[in-house]
Amino acid sequence: MNPLVIYLLLLKATMTSFAGMGSLPQIRQDFVETRRAITDEQLSQAVLVGRATIGPMGAYVVSVGYFAGGPPGALAGWLAMITPALIAIPLLTLIQRWLHLPRIRAAVDGVIIASAVLLVGSGASLAVDAVQQLMDLKS
Amino acid sequence: MSIELLRRRFTTRGWIDARDHGVFIAISRFTPGTVVLAYVVMLGWRFHRWLGAVFALVVASVPASLIVFSLSATLARIDRYAAVRALLAVGILVASVLVLASAWHLLRPYLPKPSRLRTFVVAGVAIVLVVLGATPVRVLLVAAVISSVLPLPESTE
Repeated sequence: MNPLVIYLLLLKATMTSFAGMGSLPQIRQDFVETRRAITDEQLSQAVLVGRATIGPMGAYVVSVGYFAGGPPGALAGWLAMITPALIAIPLLTLIQRWLHLPRIRAAVDGVIIASAVLLVGSGASLAVDAVQQLMDLKS
Repeated sequence: MSIELLRRRFTTRGWIDARDHGVFIAISRFTPGTVVLAYVVMLGWRFHRWLGAVFALVVASVPASLIVFSLSATLARIDRYAAVRALLAVGILVASVLVLASAWHLLRPYLPKPSRLRTFVVAGVAIVLVVLGATPVRVLLVAAVISSVLPLPESTE
């Protein structure tokens, strides 16, 4: 898979999430369901690797990039992970002007609540996948 | 790496105060992506503007990314062995619990009474959209719109 496409897809996911694992539903949608660039099992492995590693929780996107496109994909994943953080700087200057507005704050709250719902779906999907793997190994 | 660890390191040395930390925390929560990376970017920006921000971002993300890359490359080679696959499956089961814990961590601040109804409405709509097969971006956009038009709790108006 083209590293630029990997970067853009992962960036879409990281830019629309507000926590390390919040990007998981979008990544699953783009990489597993739509493009079939990686399998559910590889996505689960990426999550496992990300969680087993010290450092930012969102680092699992590096692993997703690797499974989708080898070392260049991993580099694309790293770039997609760090790019949104730079938005903090303009936010730092804008925040005092906008975030005190209750409606803006409520919109951001809504995004965070929906992120949690999406994460529950992804977590459940991972659990089902793991149980299925264990049952396959038993039989 | 935890923000709490960073806070202790920087406040005990007097490099930032509690107010700076509070502002950084608030903004990092509203910055897309990984919270701790947004936090370190602002720390770097505070001392050396763009150079500091980029340097902090690289230092905070490269070591973990290299470890993730190495582990992923190793896993791709050894995951055909049954014992490895069994271990992976158990690990993934644990990871799924951690994902669910992340969801709970996100949701918990919105469960106390003033915003509980809003939380249930937004979460309910999100669940319906997920069941209907809406993409995550659409779910998030609809949640943002609904949350912004619902009546606000008295304390925020």
